[in-house]
Amino acid sequence: MIPPRLTTPRQPLRLLKDRVATGLITAGGIGVLLAILAIGIFLVWETLPLLAIGDTLALAKLSPLAWGTLKAALAALLFAIPIALGAAIYSALFMSARLRTRIKPTLEMMEAIPGVVVGFIAGLILAPWVERHLASALALIIWLPLSAGLAGLAWQLTKARLRRRLPLSWAGLWLVPWLALMVALALWITPWIEQQWLGGDLRQLLDQRFGMDYATRNAMIVGIAMGFAVIPSIYSLAEDALSDVPTTLIEGAQALGASRWQALWRVALTAAGPGIFSAVMIGAGRAVGETMIVLMASGNTALFSASPFEGMRSMAAAIAIELPEAAPGGLTYHLLILAALVLFIFTFLVNTLAEVVRQRLRRRYRHMGGTS
Amino acid sequence: MNDRSASASSRRLHFDWLNSLWPWLCAASVALSLLMLGALLTLLVVRGLGHFWPANLEQVTLNSGETFAGQTVREVALPQQEGDERLYFTGNQDIDGARWRWVAIEEIAERSHPVDLIRLERTPWGDFIGRLAAIEQADQRWEGEAAWRHLTTLLALPINQRPDSQLLLSTANGQTLRLPLTNVLSAQAPNAMAWWQKTHAWGEGVWRFLSEGPRAANTGGGVWPAIFGTVLMVILMSVMVTPFGVLAAIYLNEIAHQGRLTRFVRIGVRNLAGVPSIVYGVFGLGVFVYGIGGSIDEWFFSDTLPSPTFGTGGLLWASLTLALLTLPVVIVATEEGLARIPEAQREGAVALGATRLEMLTRIVLPMAAPAMLTGVILAIARAAGEVAPLMLVGVAKLAPQMPVDGEFPYLHLERKFMHLGYHLFDTAFHGEDVQAAIPLVYATALLLVLIVLVLNLTAIFLRHYLRRQRGSEC
Repeated sequence: MIPPRLTTPRQPLRLLKDRVATGLITAGGIGVLLAILAIGIFLVWETLPLLAIGDTLALAKLSPLAWGTLKAALAALLFAIPIALGAAIYSALFMSARLRTRIKPTLEMMEAIPGVVVGFIAGLILAPWVERHLASALALIIWLPLSAGLAGLAWQLTKARLRRRLPLSWAGLWLVPWLALMVALALWITPWIEQQWLGGDLRQLLDQRFGMDYATRNAMIVGIAMGFAVIPSIYSLAEDALSDVPTTLIEGAQALGASRWQALWRVALTAAGPGIFSAVMIGAGRAVGETMIVLMASGNTALFSASPFEGMRSMAAAIAIELPEAAPGGLTYHLLILAALVLFIFTFLVNTLAEVVRQRLRRRYRHMGGTS
Repeated sequence: MNDRSASASSRRLHFDWLNSLWPWLCAASVALSLLMLGALLTLLVVRGLGHFWPANLEQVTLNSGETFAGQTVREVALPQQEGDERLYFTGNQDIDGARWRWVAIEEIAERSHPVDLIRLERTPWGDFIGRLAAIEQADQRWEGEAAWRHLTTLLALPINQRPDSQLLLSTANGQTLRLPLTNVLSAQAPNAMAWWQKTHAWGEGVWRFLSEGPRAANTGGGVWPAIFGTVLMVILMSVMVTPFGVLAAIYLNEIAHQGRLTRFVRIGVRNLAGVPSIVYGVFGLGVFVYGIGGSIDEWFFSDTLPSPTFGTGGLLWASLTLALLTLPVVIVATEEGLARIPEAQREGAVALGATRLEMLTRIVLPMAAPAMLTGVILAIARAAGEVAPLMLVGVAKLAPQMPVDGEFPYLHLERKFMHLGYHLFDTAFHGEDVQAAIPLVYATALLLVLIVLVLNLTAIFLRHYLRRQRGSEC
């Protein structure tokens, strides 16, 4: 029997290569991580001169921008949260598994649509349309949830055979034509209502009665457009949190006499609460930093106004517009970098919080014994 | 007793019945999201592709006796009045002073579609809509139908072989004009075309959109330089981001001590994917352009100095910035792939006497390759759609020179370049005649969305395939 040869003549070379490669990978890896860290360091370094100036007036220039950012993000979240969470609840708890494997990637695909495209549609197509049909647009916001409830009522009243044909687990799909029909109906009927009761022009009425100006590109448009962009990220994370709730929990609640809806509402939603919270946080982070949509759909006037029909200017949009023209080293330059630093810190903190909450939640689920 | 329980159960039933509407609201949110997505994509496809279809030209006679010819664009209700008005694209900016005309529908006396109306694309003044009276070439002259046939044969020739000739044109209201053939780019008589001819013309229009440069302040022509710039920038970016992203992922997953610090770094890297892209743009401008670029200029290009070479935005800085932006995407995806590889594979390799390098290059990396590819594709998809940081580090409205040409060193990293997304933004918001540019903006948007969606779909299928394959292995 030949004893295994432990040392070949090439052994030292191999070991040396290994040593060198490990060193290189370590150096490269740490280098990359440092480069990422450099972003934060650079932003802090460039805002330090502002401290030396110590001019509080300069800081006051940032406050309308901060207000604009908050307003845009709030509008987007107001639009996105109900839709995204509703969609997440439905697809995690009610939707048929076969449909879910198709719908989830489709909705996540929404996230990939570039901000410029959404901004273009919002700023140049949607905004003028809403300006001309303000009453219809507002009516749609009220009418669509009502019509969904109407679909539910109608479904309860139909015969069992039809109900089996159009089950709730597929409603996400077959409600699409229903909603399209309802949209068409609302668009057809509102001009008539506007004519009858609102004196023909809602915008004029707003102006005369409440003194509200209407800007073509306003917070409502930004909210819809940016909400559209934020929906997929909230939806995706909230859906993950909800579908990871151990089924034993829901089954246990039902065994103790809860109705299906009670089990879902009280047990599943509560259990997934932190996950849903982190989904909303991440959505907020995205809404605060989104640049192109706000730039194209908001009119970019730095205003302190809470009206949903007036525009705003966000920090991200201000950076995109003003920084290329600002002289490096000047006051505007440092101020804009301060704005970038604020965005950076805010999103970083929000995301870290969300990530920590999610990890803790995952550990808790594992603790409960759910493995799915 | 019986009564009470019955009433309680009926109340419970009522309560449940109301509650059972909630799922419908939730279902409607899915349906609404799908509806919005579908509406957006349909809008882009219909308007983006529809623009290239040769629309019929209309000759309109007004009640006042005036006639003009044009293409119907849309109808809108008249402000403060009953009735609608219609927008016509009439072209002929040199003659009429405007390219668009609003006409109240009540004022229209007659509409017709004469077969001899033609539409010419010209270079200085935009489109001409009217009739071709004759063509003069040296001392020859063609008239009427023969002139149109001669024009089509002339336009089929390459531009430098077209003979010197003059077109005699007349507008719908009888004004005449002479036009040298060199100014004409293409000619159509849409009213005389059969549907298959129109399909052919449509295909040609799409092709010209993809292969030509923009003309007439972005209201005509195509987006080829923007496609080229986007692709080149993305390729440079992936060349930079792939090795570094993979290196960092290998370090984090295979070499670093798996302690608290590594966990924090991992969370940090993951969160960087959520940092707004504009922040990366600010970093790129401050560090790459002003910092590194300024120093390079001082050291190597000091003879040209007041005008910067590398000290201004350019291709190199843009792709570096986007590489930094997409680094977290690649690191996260690669790490996921690495973590999925069973520990037994690594231990087996080491037990058989492989060094760490051999284990990595022969066992781990080949197994993680699809995950890396997924990461790179996702990074490309993100970079292709990102515009905000580029506005700070080197995109141009109209780049006079392509970044690649026959001049040494062939690839000019310091030049500014055009980008599909920025081209879209600029055309839509800073154009002179936004009305005329919007169809092309739709087409550009459609192209951008298609590129990004196809890249994302590739990544999804790759990941799906990967999961299934791994699933059978472990």
